[in-house]
Amino acid sequence: MAAFTDEELKARVQDGYIVESVDEMTEGYRKALVVQLTVQADTELMSAPSYWMAARHAPSTNTQVSAHAIIQDELAHANIAYRLLEDLGESKEQLVYGREPHEFKHPYGFDQPLDNWAELVVANGFFDRAGITLLSDVYQNTSYGPLKRALVKVDMEETFHLRHGEVWMRRLAKAGGEAREMLQRAVDWMFPMTLEWFGLPDDLKRHSGQLDYRLKGLTNDQLRQVWMSSTVPLCEGLGLKVPAHYDEQSEQYVLDYPFPCQYDAEAKHWLFEDGEITWDQVFERWKARGPMNEIYVESVRRSRGTLEGWLN
Amino acid sequence: MREEVFDVFARKERGEPLRHIGYVDAPDAALARVYAWNTYDEERWFEMCVVPRAAIIPVNRTDGPFAANAKGGAA
Repeated sequence: MAAFTDEELKARVQDGYIVESVDEMTEGYRKALVVQLTVQADTELMSAPSYWMAARHAPSTNTQVSAHAIIQDELAHANIAYRLLEDLGESKEQLVYGREPHEFKHPYGFDQPLDNWAELVVANGFFDRAGITLLSDVYQNTSYGPLKRALVKVDMEETFHLRHGEVWMRRLAKAGGEAREMLQRAVDWMFPMTLEWFGLPDDLKRHSGQLDYRLKGLTNDQLRQVWMSSTVPLCEGLGLKVPAHYDEQSEQYVLDYPFPCQYDAEAKHWLFEDGEITWDQVFERWKARGPMNEIYVESVRRSRGTLEGWLN
Repeated sequence: MREEVFDVFARKERGEPLRHIGYVDAPDAALARVYAWNTYDEERWFEMCVVPRAAIIPVNRTDGPFAANAKGGAA
């Protein structure tokens, strides 16, 4: 039984009130938090098989160790988020093992194959930067105490993933030649992929429960700007081309391509030349899921039930 | 597999308070120790312990994660 009405709770959390347990939530608050945590947990979980399959391209034993340390972190983060969902009355069992692959709520970027070392390190540099952008905003603003505390560890480790990505992007860029070309090709498809990840622009965004319940602080467009304010200077500094630039007049990063636009997953190529599409078309593509969706989901749960069989 | 919740407590340095840092699901205490050590490896902890959530008895609240043990928890 909630102690507050929905309106009271919204007013309180805007005032800094911290919710500590499910008894204090209204159904609206609980549902919004469940959606947020499910996206978070699924994203962490699906990054693991994506990075794991790419880790075989690691160029040395040292890099293998770093790549696998990152995968281990991602699995732990997923586990922590699913555990938080259990406190809200959701079932980790059902969430991990009971859903169809297309029902997972991770971004479309983690339905794509990472085919070489450059793609793995750009994933660390871009996708993990998106993760930090989203999660540090949650950390700074969330009204849910247990999530805020859990994120201390997560933010710390995501920062390490990001360093790994950036250090390797720098090394590949410096090497020049084939390494640099491979890096630029990865940036070409992964930069727009990450920007799309932040979702609907603010002028199209329906009313956001996550802001009303203070489950996050910044809007999608603001988060996109935060991500670009680190990523664009990083790439420019390395001499990598990205389809965005800083506009002095508006004091904002501006995209140099039709946004959103269509993506050819097979060719790993954005169809800038075909012009802008609607967000409904983007949602359709997301819903259809990408080429690795089933493979990734099955890879994290293919041994399900084996242990019970042995122990019984 | 039946699992229960274990709360994880740790301190970074001598002299620091033991802090609640998270929780794990595990089928028994032995695996809870392993899971906690592998999951919460972001620091070089001076001390870490796990406590079955069922053993935590609330003193002044009747709601929250430990509510189930509010009455007649372990004596």
